[in-house]
Amino acid sequence: MASKSSGDESLRLCVFDLRRGQTEGQELDKILFFHPADLDFSTQLSVIGLSEGLITFTRLFSPEAACELIEAERHSHVFYEAEPDIWMVMVVEKNRETGAIWRIDALRRVLKEVHSLFVMFHGSIRALIEKEPTGGLTRSQLYPFVTDYLSNLFVGKKLQLPTFRETLRERGTVQMLTLARDTALEVQSLVQVLESCAGSLRSHSMILFQDLLVSSTLSSDDTVNLFTFAVMRLTSSALSPGESTWSYLRKGAGSSEISSKSFSAPLGSIDSLHSGNGNNMHHVIRPLQNDKWTKGKDGFLITDIWGLETGGSTDSAIPTVWLQQTQERVYLLAYQYKSLTLLLLMPTTAIVNGDLSVSAVKQQFIEDASLRILKVEEKISRGWGGENAYHVKGYRYLVVDNDMEVSRASPLGKVTTLAKESLLALNQLRGEVDLEKSRAKRQEKDMEICIRAKNNAWVIARVTRGKELYMALEKASDTLLDTTDAVGKFSNRYCSGAFLMD
Amino acid sequence: MLSSSQPGGGSGALSHVYIQHPSLRCNIPDSRGLFYDDANRLLICITSSQVFSWQTAPFNPDVSPSVDSISEGPILSIRFSLDKKAIAVQRSDCEIQFFHRETKQILTHKCKAGSESILGFFWSDSPLCDLAILKTSGMDLFACDSMLNLRLVETKKVNVNWYIYTHETRLVLLASGLQCKTITGYQLSTAGVVRLPRFEMTMAKSESNSKPILSSGDVHLITVYGRIYCLQVDREAMLLHSYRFYRDAVVQQGSLPIYSTKLSVSVVDNVLLVHQIDAKVVIIYDLFVDSRAPVSAPLPLLWRGYHGSDQSSQAANKENESSESSTSNEILVTYEDAWTFLVPDLILDQTNKVLWRIHLDLEAISASSSDRTSLLEFLQRRKLEANKAKQLCLGIARAIILERRPASQVTQAIDVLVTAYSYSVKAGTYKDIKNEKTTATTPTVGASPDNERQRPSGSTIDEEVEMNLPSGSEENMFCADEQQESQLSSPAISPDELYKFVFASVEEMMVEESEYLVAIITEFLRSISAEKLKVDLNIYVMTIRLLAYSKRYAELSLFTTNKIIEPSKEVALQLLESGRQNLRVRKLGLDMLRQLSLHHDYISSLVQDGYYLEALRYAQKHKVTSVRSSLFLEAAFASNDLQHLAAILRVLSELIPGFKETSEYYTFYGLLNETGSSVAV
Repeated sequence: MASKSSGDESLRLCVFDLRRGQTEGQELDKILFFHPADLDFSTQLSVIGLSEGLITFTRLFSPEAACELIEAERHSHVFYEAEPDIWMVMVVEKNRETGAIWRIDALRRVLKEVHSLFVMFHGSIRALIEKEPTGGLTRSQLYPFVTDYLSNLFVGKKLQLPTFRETLRERGTVQMLTLARDTALEVQSLVQVLESCAGSLRSHSMILFQDLLVSSTLSSDDTVNLFTFAVMRLTSSALSPGESTWSYLRKGAGSSEISSKSFSAPLGSIDSLHSGNGNNMHHVIRPLQNDKWTKGKDGFLITDIWGLETGGSTDSAIPTVWLQQTQERVYLLAYQYKSLTLLLLMPTTAIVNGDLSVSAVKQQFIEDASLRILKVEEKISRGWGGENAYHVKGYRYLVVDNDMEVSRASPLGKVTTLAKESLLALNQLRGEVDLEKSRAKRQEKDMEICIRAKNNAWVIARVTRGKELYMALEKASDTLLDTTDAVGKFSNRYCSGAFLMD
Repeated sequence: MLSSSQPGGGSGALSHVYIQHPSLRCNIPDSRGLFYDDANRLLICITSSQVFSWQTAPFNPDVSPSVDSISEGPILSIRFSLDKKAIAVQRSDCEIQFFHRETKQILTHKCKAGSESILGFFWSDSPLCDLAILKTSGMDLFACDSMLNLRLVETKKVNVNWYIYTHETRLVLLASGLQCKTITGYQLSTAGVVRLPRFEMTMAKSESNSKPILSSGDVHLITVYGRIYCLQVDREAMLLHSYRFYRDAVVQQGSLPIYSTKLSVSVVDNVLLVHQIDAKVVIIYDLFVDSRAPVSAPLPLLWRGYHGSDQSSQAANKENESSESSTSNEILVTYEDAWTFLVPDLILDQTNKVLWRIHLDLEAISASSSDRTSLLEFLQRRKLEANKAKQLCLGIARAIILERRPASQVTQAIDVLVTAYSYSVKAGTYKDIKNEKTTATTPTVGASPDNERQRPSGSTIDEEVEMNLPSGSEENMFCADEQQESQLSSPAISPDELYKFVFASVEEMMVEESEYLVAIITEFLRSISAEKLKVDLNIYVMTIRLLAYSKRYAELSLFTTNKIIEPSKEVALQLLESGRQNLRVRKLGLDMLRQLSLHHDYISSLVQDGYYLEALRYAQKHKVTSVRSSLFLEAAFASNDLQHLAAILRVLSELIPGFKETSEYYTFYGLLNETGSSVAV
């Protein structure tokens, strides 16, 4: 199937709309995005055609949840219906030698993440298509966006999807900082000050310390999206890369040439197909573009992604995001003090109506909050245990709270000490659990699995009422009883006894 | 706000300070003069051969005088000894007579005629001497035995033009110099005799460049918050200068503007009242804070009828009628010439021979003050009417929330109350014990706050050592009547009371603005956490209700996981209740029950949510048998899962001794067999 360079063969990612291009000769119309972009259209169409066929076929049996996955001999096809009839399909090559061993749900979470982020900045794909039915607008926004996102997954020149080595991570969750009560109260008090900067308007805020969430008044979905973006591009460690990259969301960006190459090519090709319609008319915004944010003198983060702020109408140059919960567009103001990043979200309507000016809000922000920010930063820093704060000796773990969309895991540096066999076993176990979970669907199921891996390590999965615990214990001498005991202790000590062990 | 309007006061007039009917009346025929003995707080009325004395503390208009006989003769001043066994009478500028009240012994003390003259005298409780006689040549200190024999123990040689002394401060100031502005001071306290460094009062030059002379009536000694100040009128500058006394320094503190050439001062409940006599208004200052701004606008001093503790107009009206007769035959004019202002809060009307006590109208002051934060601070410092101050504070706190004042303002106000409470707990004044006299003492040295001691004052050495205030027992009596009224010694409001009387009471009216209320509660929690105080856990229950009402579930879980909402059974149950709309919130409640090891509630709630297997497993693990076994069985039966039912029966038989003999077991065992199941139990 693949005829192009070997680098592109490892991943194909497409977004297409089942409602488009249903007449013969118009098939290209359904393609909204394809990676790699320089792949010839016939190959693109064959990938999409196969996917579409499978979706149509499986819908016959399961109208609600159509095809999720095809496991071919050499490839896995991961399906994700991002919006009704808007599908994302990822085709990845399997290769045990190169370590290309995936967990399907982890891959699907990549699709989910890129889509959620896209919606956060541009609104839903369907809405874009409806706004501009040729699809030109959608494509011109999707291409750079997904490409910029993928550039994030590059390690050196190689695109690296989440493999089994990341099995103790959960994409699409938030990592939280644990606060002492008095600090939490200070933070909450700061949150109130922040949100009052915009006067009587209901604004939202999010506070991060390094790459951990301190506070958010957004719904958990919005929190996850904004958190993901902040850790990718805004936090202190995102602004000064190289210092510490212990978050899985940032792998370093060594790929700008690739992204720009793949970015420019498709735009021309697709647009020429549609008689050059619209590209120049749409202002293409690339919110995920790398190295575009800097810290201004006043502590606010500035970027030219949304335009230059020097012009007369400054407000148009201020980043905006779309909130799912309130279904409204809000201005995003980011402020940074040392390791503390504060995001303030204000409804755009208020500013458009002239009730509020962004510079006035900034002024108010600095006046009201600076001192408190100082105090909070100091308090948090004092109580912060460092990168390995959440390391628990002897354990390599991942705890996921699906209700809160929160996870906590052993620090990356500690996970890498695990043997490959342990990670592979755990990855496989997680795959099984994913399968069980998707079968159980609505009913929350309790699960408890303990497996002895080839290297005599114990890999454990515990699922109970929306909470999941995965663990690898490499103490070979331990019996099953010891292991259960160890997990029980961990559950009592660090998960408030959520995982009851027999 | 006024409880009633009074004759002479003008109906409907506003005032912050009032004197009230009935007054203490000296209906003694042939009275030759009224005196006030501030050491014993006695009002003294003399006739040609008799001395009538009324106790003025506690102030009781109906008190009857005690009567003593003395020999006839002129009386320049009269004071009872501190043990009240003797009466000393100054007959002339060179003679003082002493009368022993029991033995009727009379002793006369004379000074050298011609070379010096007696200016006055006072009794002292210092260990060194019992009596001080002030003369133009200085001060003689005498020890006095029970037989009234005087023994000179020390003489302080100073040229004295005039002197002032108050027993409250135990401080005597001796004025000398051409302008009488050079002051030598001594404190004759129980700790001994302390000499103050000599200092000069500030006097502006007049236009004609003549040097004004300071008179004793222009200098006032006052005590507020356990600190001693001297206030001095400077008529040329139209200023009232204040000086604060430290053990070994006198520090000028700044000046207050005056609007009247005639001026007097009173102190009520540590509040300074400056009577601008010509203008017939009184201005209130709270010297606790550095600010020299008056507490409220100048308003006249008014008369009021009897004013009960409950301020009800009914009671006031009733009293009006009865007091009518007593006031009708008097011509009442405020600030008439015959008024004498007595230390600290009495007014003696020489013409009508009545004694008034001055009161602060905290309600009126509250009503006219717009700065809520400083008003609360002011009210929290009030001791005399602690209960009223407390009620006013609670009212203000409620009002600012109901008025939707900006959260920052409300926070400030709450901070004031929390800090005041925390302070009063540390100082030991916050007690709910009724009629406890010791708590009513006016603040002594120890009561002055720490920051006060760090105030730079540009003075020399050791200034931070406060001048000792005598801790006399009189202060107790002086507060005793208010004690009965309020039974509180401090207006401090505990966090529980704040919750109960402020937050809980506004909750219903504020549900629509729950966000605002939550913001304020959070600040309140922060405030009490900073002071390491605790609060009624119902405030957390309320917070959950409010957050759930506005559907702020994300914040609710953050509040819970961060323990801003402290875990408790009540909180957990509220989470379960609020979680009816949101499963996540319900799970927070379940988690909390488990963390608190409330096994029974945890298991019951799990079963309720349909997790009967998990519940049973948990019960088995923790050996909990208190949950009704039928709960599990019915849940399993309802879910139509016979395997589960069988499993449950088996587990229950192991868990509960004798379970197999219960009717329940037979019922469900029967059901299991009826349905033809082959599942083994």
